Amino acid sequence: MKRHFLLIPLLLGLFVGITCGKREETQQTKVIGVALLTRGHMFYRDLEEGLLEEAQKQRYELIITSAEFDLGKQIAQVEDFISRKVDAIIICPVDSKGIGTAVKAANAAGIPVFTADIAAQEGEVVSHIASDNVAGGRLAGEFLAKALGGKGEIAIINHPAVTSVLDRVQGFKEAIAKYPEIKIVADVSGQGVRDRSLQVTTDVLQAHPTLKGIFGINDDSALGALDAVQQYKKEGIIIVGYDATPPALDAIRKGTSLKADVIQYPKVIGTTTIQKIRDHFAGVPVPPIVPVEVGIVDRQTLHASSEGG
Amino acid sequence: MSISTHRAAEYGIGVAFLLEIVVFALLSPYFFTADNLLNISLQASITAIIAVGMTFVILTGGIDLSVGSLVALAGIVTTSVLKLDVPIIVSFPFAILSGLLVGGASGMMAGLCTTRFRIAPFIVTLALMTIWRGAAFLYTEGRPIWELPEVFGVLGSGRVLGIPIPTLIMLIVFVVAHVVLKYTTFGRYVYAVGGNAEAARVAGIAVDRVYMAVYTISGGLSALSGILLASRINSGQPNAGLMYELDVIAAVVVGGTSLNGGRGSIVGTFVGAMLIAVLRNGLNLLNVGSYVQQVVVGVVILLAVMADRWRRTE
Repeated sequence: MKRHFLLIPLLLGLFVGITCGKREETQQTKVIGVALLTRGHMFYRDLEEGLLEEAQKQRYELIITSAEFDLGKQIAQVEDFISRKVDAIIICPVDSKGIGTAVKAANAAGIPVFTADIAAQEGEVVSHIASDNVAGGRLAGEFLAKALGGKGEIAIINHPAVTSVLDRVQGFKEAIAKYPEIKIVADVSGQGVRDRSLQVTTDVLQAHPTLKGIFGINDDSALGALDAVQQYKKEGIIIVGYDATPPALDAIRKGTSLKADVIQYPKVIGTTTIQKIRDHFAGVPVPPIVPVEVGIVDRQTLHASSEGG
Repeated sequence: MSISTHRAAEYGIGVAFLLEIVVFALLSPYFFTADNLLNISLQASITAIIAVGMTFVILTGGIDLSVGSLVALAGIVTTSVLKLDVPIIVSFPFAILSGLLVGGASGMMAGLCTTRFRIAPFIVTLALMTIWRGAAFLYTEGRPIWELPEVFGVLGSGRVLGIPIPTLIMLIVFVVAHVVLKYTTFGRYVYAVGGNAEAARVAGIAVDRVYMAVYTISGGLSALSGILLASRINSGQPNAGLMYELDVIAAVVVGGTSLNGGRGSIVGTFVGAMLIAVLRNGLNLLNVGSYVQQVVVGVVILLAVMADRWRRTE
């Protein structure tokens, strides 16, 4: 921790030195600090693209940093934004609770804070812009229920440590609850990664030989489940995934047991976030939570879209 | 570290293992079936193979935290080579070899750092753990490597006489490791170095070479597991093998190998790895929630080590 104290002013000095000249020319430009969770995921790249695109339209200057899952780093980044006196801060928190101190520091400095994709649980946030995960879970549940003809045993490959996942599962269960003949017989954690999901799904397949459907809370969970189903040559199981990553879409196109995927629009999250900041600057009231719509894709819609474009 | 306490340790854990099987067999009708037992062996194979290398390392009084990251790195290297635009007959062996080489090389590096620069193994392998994990994410930009040739899947999903190939490989690794530790000079050196490195040095054992060897074995076996896992999940995943180091160390410790070095056995590690795999499988079959599972597995590890302590002070 001690080293951080030395590093921050050093880096900050460098930063200010580089950007000083620029700042004088564009005095009117609003500056927005962005603290991303990571740049390693497609999802966040698209989100970043959306931010940049809309910021260019609004003539805002963005300072984009990425914490790469390091909470300490992210807090330092937000603190840097505060001492730079940016006009607004966008955070995709590494940890919903842990980021609280940084949010409060920004509050104290009077800088409005917005969160995108992941919410903060402490401090005051003007608006949280994220995929409507409850709606996404509902879409997944409805698809699965219809595909199964309204009956059968199903399992959830879960990762109950993240709020967005809890929302997905809540929506999924809401949709399934409308079908009394569908029973959730297993709810296991694959920790959101493919290797662990493969393992827990094989156990579920052992315990429930008549299993008919699986909901994977993200694509690695769904693909791990698909690995298990294929390796045990189980026929007639329907899997629904979440996130619509390229490997999952490929599996859907090939006609495997993975039949559908909930798709998020991270780029829209990015553009919406900047639009809400614009509204806030203009004095237009912004709702505390802005859900961004999600969709569901299956083999048919994928074929239609590839033919169309 | 007399032979008799050794035996007692193995018997103790063996009895616990059998008891566990009986309990799950009584509780779940799906547990004691040929299908499920093969399933358990397949699931255990990945961590059990790594646990063999870890046993060598821990017997010398060291530790290897880099194994989980090596699982990911080796999987990524192997799958990347498979994607090269050359005939599969060439790329397949080359892919496997390069994966194993990366693991072995990392192990050698760990060995070098501990022997030449006298850095504690915990620190060296902790550093390698984050370096390799970072490298895996950097190289793949966080995305999986997929669309692999179909034949690669055979390694992880294929069966010979009904037995999964990873299970067979695991059995071969255990038998070879058991023979090496028990019946070769090198095996005796490993115990000697772990029992008392200074005494071993005085006795003329090339202690540093023993250290180098055990870390190389650990790295190589982690890579082997990583390749098998990549085949099972049909992709190279930068987040594969997360926290495996803890599962593996747990298996070795539950199997009665002392973290102080010099005491333990491959047979113990085998039972330890199986005991934990059966525990996880059984809890999943009984639909025990993931939160409860974490607590149960932790309690079992504590009990096993406490029982071990108690036996030794007797």
